[in-house]
Amino acid sequence: MLARLAAEFYWLGRHAERIEHTARLLRFQLNRLPDRPVDELTLGWQAVYRILGQPYVGMAADGGDAETLVIPDAYTLAGKLVEERANPDSLVSCWEHARENGQRVRAQLPLPVWTCLNQGYLWIRDSNFNTAWTLGPSALVNEAVDRLNLLAGVVEAVMPRDEAWRFMELGRFIERVQHQAELLAGWIEFNREEAGAGALSWADLLRVCGAYEVYCRRRSTNVERAQALGLLTQDPEVPRSLRFAAQHITQLLAGIDPVGARYPMAPPHRMSLSLTASIEVEPTGLSGEGAEFFRSVGQDARVLHDLTMGAYVTHSLSRELAT
Amino acid sequence: MSQLRAAGGGVFSGYDLDVRFYDEMFGPRGNPREASRRLHAVLAELAPEDLVKLQDGVYRHFLHEGITFTVLDADNVTEQIIPIDCVPRVLTAPEWEHLERGLKQRLAALNLFLKDVYHQGRCLKDGIVPIDLVLGCPQYRMEMRGLKVPHDVYVAVCGTDVVRTHDGFAVLEDNLRVPSGVSYMLACRDAIKEAFPRLYRANRVREVSDYAELLYATLASLRPSQENPHVAILTPGMHNAAYYEHAFLAGEMGIDLVEGQDLILRDSALYTRTTSGLRRVDVLYRRIDDDFLDPVQFRSDSVLGAAGLFHAFRAGNVVVANAPGTGVADDKSLYAYVPEIIRYFLGEEPILANVETHLCREPAGLAYTLEHLDELVVKEVGGAGGYGMLVGPHASADERARYAERLRADPANFIAQPVLDLSRAPCFIDGAIEPRHVDLRPFVLQGRDEQHVVPGGLCRVALRRGSLVVNPSQGGGCKDLWIVED
Repeated sequence: MLARLAAEFYWLGRHAERIEHTARLLRFQLNRLPDRPVDELTLGWQAVYRILGQPYVGMAADGGDAETLVIPDAYTLAGKLVEERANPDSLVSCWEHARENGQRVRAQLPLPVWTCLNQGYLWIRDSNFNTAWTLGPSALVNEAVDRLNLLAGVVEAVMPRDEAWRFMELGRFIERVQHQAELLAGWIEFNREEAGAGALSWADLLRVCGAYEVYCRRRSTNVERAQALGLLTQDPEVPRSLRFAAQHITQLLAGIDPVGARYPMAPPHRMSLSLTASIEVEPTGLSGEGAEFFRSVGQDARVLHDLTMGAYVTHSLSRELAT
Repeated sequence: MSQLRAAGGGVFSGYDLDVRFYDEMFGPRGNPREASRRLHAVLAELAPEDLVKLQDGVYRHFLHEGITFTVLDADNVTEQIIPIDCVPRVLTAPEWEHLERGLKQRLAALNLFLKDVYHQGRCLKDGIVPIDLVLGCPQYRMEMRGLKVPHDVYVAVCGTDVVRTHDGFAVLEDNLRVPSGVSYMLACRDAIKEAFPRLYRANRVREVSDYAELLYATLASLRPSQENPHVAILTPGMHNAAYYEHAFLAGEMGIDLVEGQDLILRDSALYTRTTSGLRRVDVLYRRIDDDFLDPVQFRSDSVLGAAGLFHAFRAGNVVVANAPGTGVADDKSLYAYVPEIIRYFLGEEPILANVETHLCREPAGLAYTLEHLDELVVKEVGGAGGYGMLVGPHASADERARYAERLRADPANFIAQPVLDLSRAPCFIDGAIEPRHVDLRPFVLQGRDEQHVVPGGLCRVALRRGSLVVNPSQGGGCKDLWIVED
């Protein structure tokens, strides 16, 4: 397929995954609004912003008018992540970018997928955050997740498993590894810095990742740090585990470039295997205090992105002429 | 002005017939024409709220599928849903067959004309068309002189604007460069079929759904030699006004939609850059104006085309459809000579008439235009989209005076035509059915051996009361066109 289109499909997958990541974190925090203490909520917002790599703009945990400001503060903080167009990671920006990617590959995108993507964009573009907030703080975010799930379902049902689909999935899983790694690292660091505050429990982490139920079924409702991190890192059956995503990346790359998957391997293939191995073999972050392991996984995902773009999209003119 | 009411009552109760204009649904006595009888009966039975629902359904179909056009101004790029009216326009099969014959005849003659002006120039020597009009036309490409175009098909895709008055059908202009609108024709059809499934079936409407298949076959037939040609559409990108159409056609034909950055020249052939290396292009359906096709050959500041594209075309390694330089045959000044061109090259009388046209490049034409400016529509010869024209009867004295200055300064840049009594068709406007002016753009395909016209076209409608401007960017919209069997 055209290299430019491959990049658009790839970014479509990345933007869709980014929406989901932001929405999951937001939903987690907004669902806590009714019954959590103010300082816990404040710390929660700080964590959400840090994990998303955004500067925190809310009040401090020990602010004087904290109780009266907690809802207005949540409104501002959530609004920045939902409707602020100047914020490239806000839900509306990401949806707009995803739709732009979709528009550029419209000729290759099955009509139901395009329609679903376009309807989602039109919905969020025309949504009024203020009005939605009156229906319940998390109403809009919940619908965003529902619409994203619908999109994922339509993709699953109608898209042929061809190169376009592979690039889209590749983008989705590379983004997922990067974000999940940031999330896990951020959660560890935040717990270490805010020891005893109890603002972010390991059960909360599982909830953000949609893995709380599976954890309870397999173990118990008593959530342990190492076991929760273990599940989210190494379990090959949990969709938001790092191992699950890394294995998919390897398979997708093998489908995109079967020759590159054989010896001597192409750089993206080599990198993806190395990433998978590091997750499977030596998850030092699970037992240690530091979050360095997850940071390094996130860094590997960035390198993998560069290698993928270099190998299939921006390959040099000289290489093209040599073929 | 004598007026009478259309038959039917209900949503038609406010439908005024104006005898100056041919009405597409009603005869002169206000009764529905035979071909529209079924449609009229169904509409007359509907309550306004039912029509509102239908119209809303049609609009949502367009909205959700993102059937848009892009409007560019100095500051903004705005994506707009093309307005669609839910009431189809109806033509009979014999009316259509007459149009079809005329359109095919016209395109055949224009292709012969283009071959001639870029080779022997017989028609210029014989005085059929003034030589300075052709050679002085900005769309005449010296680069095309003596260049062999595969199968002599300069124009593979043509969109001809046709209007109807009491005198019958007439051609308003030929669009021979990058005619657009066919995707809206197909989208309208899908939406209206969904809205009136039983009525559509009962009317035995001729199908347009094989357009993409015919277009692909037409383009593929122009290939230099390969068995399975690689056909691609070249688009300026997603901010182009017609991007929806480019993507739609590429999707329907299952071919690549490429931008200039996707193309590369190698050994005098054109290739696309793919994830697994280069892939040669055999036929390029370009949707970019000549000027921007190739920065090496044409405008050097173009970032939309591909460097070396024209070289590959000249070397015979890629077919470019429509060929560069076809714009010389759809220049508005040349339009006046098309009937003579048909007679000269085909030895036949034109089947479709032209609209009376005054060429301001000629002293008599300029004098007449200046004298009757308040009665005429004046257009720039290279203009398009309804921009830059003066509608004399609707313009103020000041506007006409300013336009007259422009005319005197550069008369060769203008033509003038009488204000046409464009036919009107019923449209659903603000809860009632009212007449609005319409035109029609059917699409003609010219392949190596065959010509095709799909039985339909982009029917544009001036949605503002009394307006004659049908362009979507200026208050126009579109509606479906049904060719019904007797």
